[in-house]
Amino acid sequence: MYFDKEKNNRERLKFIEMWAEYVRTHSDKEWSKQQNILINSLIKNGLRKS
Amino acid sequence: MEFVNEGIIKLDKELNELDKFVLDFCRILEKHTKYMIVSGYVIILFGRSRGTEDVDVFIKEMKKQDFNKLFEELEDKGYECINTSKRDAFEELNEDIPLRFAKKNQFVPNIEIKLAKRPLDIHFLEKPLRVILSEGELRISFIEPQIAFKEVCLGSKKDIEDAYYLRKVFEGKINKEKIDYYKREFSK
Repeated sequence: MYFDKEKNNRERLKFIEMWAEYVRTHSDKEWSKQQNILINSLIKNGLRKS
Repeated sequence: MEFVNEGIIKLDKELNELDKFVLDFCRILEKHTKYMIVSGYVIILFGRSRGTEDVDVFIKEMKKQDFNKLFEELEDKGYECINTSKRDAFEELNEDIPLRFAKKNQFVPNIEIKLAKRPLDIHFLEKPLRVILSEGELRISFIEPQIAFKEVCLGSKKDIEDAYYLRKVFEGKINKEKIDYYKREFSK
């Protein structure tokens, strides 16, 4: 199966750039609420595995 | 994110479970030694939307009796060393084997403690970047050496993305000449 790694990397960096811009231009409370959905769920699931 | 001065950043973020875990651990650590958080958690602290299993922390070299007091307090407060015994921990730490501490009966997240031995690490450990949060303060490495280390010494896809994120989120706030300087230093 053909997979364009370079394109994938470019898209990942583009998303990182967009998210960094969001963090720069929004309050800490706003971006952290969104980030915490991911972090808290990872912690919860990680702990379940242990 | 408020840049109070060159050495202090105030973050008004809503703390997540990882932040609370790190704050709790560091409150104990700072009673016994100087510490500085580096690498992945630093990037997450400033908003990168990714997880991590461990939090990398440098500490200052300690005498065995002082280290034992730290170890005992960590145990008293519900932590355990998951990769070695109390008997061997001090020697292993001094042989550059990192110690991993987690909450009892848990494996992740964990704190990976290493001794600061390289001159640059010792330098930053003495004067870290302070991050003020709603429930306490954390001491972390300055941003420029973080970017340089991830780009020069680590270099995995994840590290390159982390460095890219830091460059973008701190655009206009970081000194690019300093990053180049640290890149040269880390390349030696």
